Amino acid sequence: MTGHAVPPLDRSLSPQPGPVRSFDFPPVISSTLSNGLTLRMARMTRVPLVSVSVVLDAGESALGDPLAGLAVLSGDGLDGGSKRLPGPDLAEALEGIGSSLAVGTGGDATAVSLTCVAERLVEGVELLSEALLSPAFPEDEIDRLRNQRLAAIRQRQMDPGSLADDAAIHAFYADSSPYHRPLAGTHDSVSGIGPDEIRSWVKDRYLPAGAGVVVVGDVEPAEVEALIQDRCGSWTGGQPERTDTPDEPRSRERRVVVVDRPGSVQSEIRIGQVGVPRSTPHFFPLKVFNTILGGAFTSRLMLNLREERGFTYGVRSRFSFRRGSGPFGISMAVATEVTAPAVAEAFSELEGLLDGGPTDAEVERARDYIAGVFPLQLETTGQVAARIGELQVYGLPDDYFGSYRDRIREVTTQGALEAGRAVIRPDEFLVVVAGDAGSIRGPLEELNLGPVEVIPPA
Amino acid sequence: MLNVPVERHRLSNGLRVTLSRDPSTPVVGVNLWYAVGSRNERPGRTGFAHLFEHMMFQGSANVPKNRHFDLVEQAGGSLNASTWFDRTNYYDTVPSHHLELALWLEADRMGWMLPAMTQEKLENQQEVVKNEKKERYDNQPYGDWDERIQALVFPHDHPYHHPVIGSMEDIGSATLEDVADFFSTFYVPNNAVLTLAGDFDADSAMGLVERYFGEIPAGAPIPPLPGRVDISPVIGETAREVVVDDVPLPRVYMGLRVPPVTSDRFHAGDVAATVLGSGKASRLYRSLVREKRVAKDVLAYLFPLQTSASLLLFWVTGYPEADPEDLERALLDEIDGLSSVEQKELDRAVALTETHILRNIQQTGSRADLLSMFDQTFDDPARLNSEVDRVRAVTRSQVQDFGAEFLGPDNRAFLTYIPGESP
Repeated sequence: MTGHAVPPLDRSLSPQPGPVRSFDFPPVISSTLSNGLTLRMARMTRVPLVSVSVVLDAGESALGDPLAGLAVLSGDGLDGGSKRLPGPDLAEALEGIGSSLAVGTGGDATAVSLTCVAERLVEGVELLSEALLSPAFPEDEIDRLRNQRLAAIRQRQMDPGSLADDAAIHAFYADSSPYHRPLAGTHDSVSGIGPDEIRSWVKDRYLPAGAGVVVVGDVEPAEVEALIQDRCGSWTGGQPERTDTPDEPRSRERRVVVVDRPGSVQSEIRIGQVGVPRSTPHFFPLKVFNTILGGAFTSRLMLNLREERGFTYGVRSRFSFRRGSGPFGISMAVATEVTAPAVAEAFSELEGLLDGGPTDAEVERARDYIAGVFPLQLETTGQVAARIGELQVYGLPDDYFGSYRDRIREVTTQGALEAGRAVIRPDEFLVVVAGDAGSIRGPLEELNLGPVEVIPPA
Repeated sequence: MLNVPVERHRLSNGLRVTLSRDPSTPVVGVNLWYAVGSRNERPGRTGFAHLFEHMMFQGSANVPKNRHFDLVEQAGGSLNASTWFDRTNYYDTVPSHHLELALWLEADRMGWMLPAMTQEKLENQQEVVKNEKKERYDNQPYGDWDERIQALVFPHDHPYHHPVIGSMEDIGSATLEDVADFFSTFYVPNNAVLTLAGDFDADSAMGLVERYFGEIPAGAPIPPLPGRVDISPVIGETAREVVVDDVPLPRVYMGLRVPPVTSDRFHAGDVAATVLGSGKASRLYRSLVREKRVAKDVLAYLFPLQTSASLLLFWVTGYPEADPEDLERALLDEIDGLSSVEQKELDRAVALTETHILRNIQQTGSRADLLSMFDQTFDDPARLNSEVDRVRAVTRSQVQDFGAEFLGPDNRAFLTYIPGESP
């Protein structure tokens, strides 16, 4: 017993929070090797694991349409191993220490990563650096990996959600922008990629001066630095060429595109446009604005379309922040018969938020939510390594995440509204629906959003 | 050997409680496993356990609709729930100074959910769940594989014969009376385990649990499962189903009945699944994907289940022109070859398991979930700490024996998808 009387429990009152405990993003210790490679480390000792990630300036956005998918297939190609350690042996060695190589290729970068128990760090780094710095790209393995990619593209074209995503970005962006096409390329572009293209790409883009190594976990920074120097110090090459990513919209006219899937029981809906880059001054206010619109379970879109009307299992809105202006959009899957009403409700919520603005209470709640879940998303070495990788890709200072929650808490109601109004233009929205055109075309036309075009699946 | 701390308690109403303190991050996980899932559903009410899970978010006596999500999100927490064959779990992960909020919310719906139920809320969530089924199953290529595989692997009167999501018709015919019955039968403290993991005050936490959950009355003993749970350990034949459908690539699924998670032979099955089909150094990936190149991808996964048997699943996805018979033959070649399993393959399985568990316990939410799982399934949450040792103890001959007994022609259910116009 605590010595004083505990008052009887009144269940009608929600409990008051206790004293707040502070959360600090683990300090980032960084250094630069003589070859230009940046090393960033953070200690996390909760469990004896370590994550290692090499972030390369080798994203799909640096490629023109004819070679779309080259960055992705090059990353896949690391599975072919090196001369000394061919693919099957590489996989066996990695999995023998309980690890595996994860290659993530995006528009802006390629990240080659692994997580292993801390006592196997030396082996992990040796295997990762062997795969990354001495890749053999054997022709027969590239053949296989290309066939796997082509099959994956085929799967993507028959998955309603992916079909809608791909049709949406094609509608949002002009052909001059790499953002208009599926990240991993098209059947035609990938078919034309072989070992020569891959070797050339890797020679130009897998370069230390544009790359960052991130090591997070239960390790000693001094030992890590010596290890990375030992394994990556002889990596040579200049700086990858960096140009701005074209991100022009296809048009500024609002219109509706229906990707016809006859007999589809649902419509996959995407509503949006070209958004803003990661470097936007509106970044934090937009985080708050979007949380209120469709970025949390208790967002306006979710409460309306799911909890009030039962139109959908889930709806969300999202800014995809990239070096260039990534897309902004609302996405949801709804029953075929409520397609047009769901689109109308989504517009109504968005326009209502832009016209009337969020309430102070909504903004406070959104700020508390984003600031509060921040540590929940930084519990694993892999999560923290991914965040530190962003410092490399977007040129952010090492202490950036230390003040992230403060920046969120500084967002005002007016600031969130102004950011939303500055960036979101419903008059220029594209509405893309993958669904049964025969059932939904008429009702969509009656919404008078703009011209309605029906196209076959890609 | 892991050393995740485990402190156990039991309230007088039967609620089992596990406390696992780790103050390294100011986050606390509150996790509940109720020992009720799709296995408890009676005929005509498939999908009800999951629909009920949705209703648990529709409010309780002191918490209006949407308030649970609202309060937890405002606190900077995350929350969700999931329904599976044997259990339904609910989890809130919140900044640690909001522990009491999570306890209050979970206790209110464990004790006093029914006063908040209305027909309008039920109908709303019936629509949401129907849309979930359409989005995740009906509108997905191969989306009905689990329904078909379960029907092939488990007899019609076994609780695993039908899928967790249930049928559209059954979801639509649920009533408020069903909600009330289900609640008073299964959502009782004696059918639940509660885990607190992460950052909490060791001296006061149990007092808070007692304060919020202690006065919830115990329920009656849990009724036996409907249907027949006493089934043969193997299917008894090679069952087959071929589906011509609007799928991008041919794919062969193979489902097998293997020992339940509570069996001392379970881990031999787990190791066999890893040796065969987990990772790029697995036998199936190496042979079917890398060498023979008949498959675009392969997978083996052992679903750990409690009632009569677990489900071991293989899938092989072919290239567009692949002959499904070739896929099947290549799969069976590797399965038949398991008798040559080597120690280094077992070592690989141990290493992968160790990393997998460590990765899972990094996150407060999944750490709490694992502890609840071991508590609900084995009445022993500390079993988490020795799980890797059980995998390490598996011998070559145990894997060989497992293969001889469970991977033969009398225990196979093939489900083959062939691209084409659906009938």
